[in-house]
Amino acid sequence: MGCERFEFLISGLLDGELDATEEQSLKEHLLLCDKCRRKHQELLRLKEVTDSVRFKDLSGEVWAGYWNNIYRRIERGLGWILLSVGAVILISFGLYESLSQFFADPEISLWVKIGVSALGLGFIILLVSIIRERIFAYRRDRYREVQR
Amino acid sequence: MSEVSSRTDEELALKAKGGEMRAFEVLVERYKRHAYFIAYGFVGDREAALDLSQEAFVRTYKAIHRYKPDFRFFTWFYKILSNLCISHLEKRRVRKRYEVSLEEAPFELATSKLDPAAVYEQKELTKKLWEAITNLRPDFKEIIILRHFRDFSYKEISEILQIPIGSVMSRLYYARMKLKEKLKDLI
Repeated sequence: MGCERFEFLISGLLDGELDATEEQSLKEHLLLCDKCRRKHQELLRLKEVTDSVRFKDLSGEVWAGYWNNIYRRIERGLGWILLSVGAVILISFGLYESLSQFFADPEISLWVKIGVSALGLGFIILLVSIIRERIFAYRRDRYREVQR
Repeated sequence: MSEVSSRTDEELALKAKGGEMRAFEVLVERYKRHAYFIAYGFVGDREAALDLSQEAFVRTYKAIHRYKPDFRFFTWFYKILSNLCISHLEKRRVRKRYEVSLEEAPFELATSKLDPAAVYEQKELTKKLWEAITNLRPDFKEIIILRHFRDFSYKEISEILQIPIGSVMSRLYYARMKLKEKLKDLI
């Protein structure tokens, strides 16, 4: 076994993650290899340094409000969804009613009705096309959880 | 309440998937500290870490219908959290405001020492350690935070990062060597 494999095992030894056989073979190697023994000492010192500090904790008050903040965000998300669904339903209904009256009105010329129909149809085609493209991209996006 | 608290992560995640908010709250309570400190390790900013860790839980809840018990809950959550942190860093970089404050290290001494000289020395060391960790490659920084500052075992890190245990050991070795190199004046 070359030194490289033993070097990796040094990390395992420091963390107490080696099995008995690995630990025994590494310890035997350390007795024979100055280079690895020096690395072991250096990494041991590094571990002492990292073990001597820890992340500063937040205040108890912040931790106490942590879940409430998350709950509020989830609740607001639901609120926005309902608001959007409601708006879509109402706008669609309003458009339907307006267009029904518009097309039923005999005083409006046929050309204006054809123009409005073409405009509406064009808008719908474009909208469907964009939505389809978005869905296509979303299904293939491996990083969709990532906020860009 | 205690009955819910004693359930495994996966059982809780399935209950949350079934609409039980209390089960999700227990998961948040269980992992909020890990989430916050890991985010802190990534972005080096207290407020951003708090916000990102909470946002990761919100996104996890919104995506809970896709959760499968074949995966450990925390592995799944970690993916969302780390992606959010990486996006945050990318945005900061794009906005050319990538400045992690090195003036104030997010560490504190693990043991209280009474000797003022020793405290001062340790504070300096803490600052230099944070500076060195901040300047590590992201995958090195990530594994150092998980192992040294959150005490995850190799098996847990292997599951979280979805790499073999042998790779955890070798990556940790290279990360530590790099960290040691950056701290060569002190070690």
